Amino acid sequence: MKVIEIKNLHKIYHDTEVEVKAVNGVNLEFEEGEFSAIVGPSGSGKTTLLNVIGGLDAPSSGSVIIDGTDIGTLSSREMIDFRLHNIGFVFQAYNLIPVLTARENAEFIMQLQKKSRAERDARIAELFTAIGIQGKEDIRPNRLSGGQQQRVAVARALASKPKFILADEPTANLDSKSTTNLLDIMRKLNEEENVTFIFSTHDQRVIDRAKRVIVLDDGKVTKDTKTEQ
Amino acid sequence: MITVTSVTLAVILAVFVRSLQEGSYAKMIENAVGQFTGYVQVHQKDYWDDQSLDNGMEINDSLLEIIHSIPQIIGVNMRLESIALASNEKNTKGVLVMGINTISEDSMLNLSNKIINGKYLNPNDSSILIGSKLAHFLNIVTGDTLVLLGQGHWGQSAIGAYPVKGIVKMPSVEIDRQIVFMPIKLAQSFYSFPNGITSMVVKFNDATLTQSITNKLNNKLKRSDYRAIPWQKMSPELVQEIQSDRSGGIFMIAVLYMIIAFGVFGTTLMMTEERKKEFAVMVAIGTQKTKLMVVSLYENLLINGLAILIGTLLSIPLVYYYSINPMRLSGDAAVSMENLGIEPIMPTTLSADIFLHQIIVILIIVGIAILYPLISLGRMNVINSLRR
Repeated sequence: MKVIEIKNLHKIYHDTEVEVKAVNGVNLEFEEGEFSAIVGPSGSGKTTLLNVIGGLDAPSSGSVIIDGTDIGTLSSREMIDFRLHNIGFVFQAYNLIPVLTARENAEFIMQLQKKSRAERDARIAELFTAIGIQGKEDIRPNRLSGGQQQRVAVARALASKPKFILADEPTANLDSKSTTNLLDIMRKLNEEENVTFIFSTHDQRVIDRAKRVIVLDDGKVTKDTKTEQ
Repeated sequence: MITVTSVTLAVILAVFVRSLQEGSYAKMIENAVGQFTGYVQVHQKDYWDDQSLDNGMEINDSLLEIIHSIPQIIGVNMRLESIALASNEKNTKGVLVMGINTISEDSMLNLSNKIINGKYLNPNDSSILIGSKLAHFLNIVTGDTLVLLGQGHWGQSAIGAYPVKGIVKMPSVEIDRQIVFMPIKLAQSFYSFPNGITSMVVKFNDATLTQSITNKLNNKLKRSDYRAIPWQKMSPELVQEIQSDRSGGIFMIAVLYMIIAFGVFGTTLMMTEERKKEFAVMVAIGTQKTKLMVVSLYENLLINGLAILIGTLLSIPLVYYYSINPMRLSGDAAVSMENLGIEPIMPTTLSADIFLHQIIVILIIVGIAILYPLISLGRMNVINSLRR
């Protein structure tokens, strides 16, 4: 089932005197349950593409259709609400809220969705078991390792049961062991719960574990390969 | 914590500075006016423009009745004031002779405590008190006789020689140089003005009632030959001094408010900028900006409200301490105040108005400052903020 459809997408920045085509005519489709990596050198447009897909940035032209909704037609308020229910984010720098505990960070999005206490407790227990950080629920991010923080970030992204998760260089700040653990967890969630993951990455270990690798260069898709994993 | 500290200090500073300013003015007025001319005097209507005994009046029961009909008035002191030449051996000087009710005036002028040599007067004494600087100029000590020469009522000669019973040190150097006190009966006799007075000093407890009592009196006296005048008309130089000081004070408080505003705005700005990435993450994962703005507003109101409360509570003992242990000035500032008849101290005032006004001013500053996080959140670019 098609989750994301990107049609002739352009994102042009006019910040400097030179016009920068960060995304230059991208056409892509993502199916439910994909585990895809968008790769490419720095400045190739990976993060911009992810931001536009996630509705954090507006395209200059073209469209992004998520589950039948052209997100370009949504107002700012509607877009935020759409993200709340449909898109999960994992950031390179984890971006957990420092004053909240691990549980509260993951729970926060469910509170925005107005889920009941019981629903939240059940989902937290399920997620923290899945990502292997049981017992750390009441600890604040500054007392967790980078790998643990990124796992909490994955739990937060999954907590709202989104249609897909966008992960921008999720392993960039992690050591080798943490990267392997995180990839194992995400791959397990992908396979067992059919969660769709789309990464932007430089990391060969992520690329090696991806089911699909999309190469981006100068804002254009130069290669789109599905691997047999 | 930084915001709470910043606003708390702002409240303490603003309350203390304003309280010090207003306390000093109140002290100035009390010293120079309350303890000499009184806040309101009643005279024969031409007296103030031409201060001659011919414009004096006789003690008048119906006038007293009118004055006492105003509930806030607690008493009236009658005085007979005029000028004379005072002489002792080779020195002669123009002096202000003040005939007073020695008993009732002592509670106002507090002369018995200002005596540095000799004794205070009794109502039937035929002796006088003189200012210490006048005594020094005329080279007079207690027990010496002072010759007074002047013009009495309706052009009569006023001549007398009076023993000096005591020497008083008046807070105002100007008054200390020229004052001669005598019992009112003696003054009436000296000036050949039996039962005559020049002014009635109206006593009441609250100086802020000056204008309203003046108005009430003049309203009741409008068909008579008498008029009430407030201290501001009797002491224009003091009004000018306070006005000039107040202008400086306004400038100072304006600078203080600007410093406070920068402090409060600086901490609010810092707090907002530091948390922009956090806010951007919240918006990215699905929090409406309006919800964040409401939370930010509540948060700021709570933090600043708490800080204002702490600041107010902490400023009360500080203001109280300096109201009973006022700062004492020294050097030129002290001399300049003493010359105006003002004790060179700067007490604070515990007036609730000061606290209320400063809280309102700080609330306005805080209210403007907390617009920043709201505007900043409304305009926040999530991508740029996430890159921080």
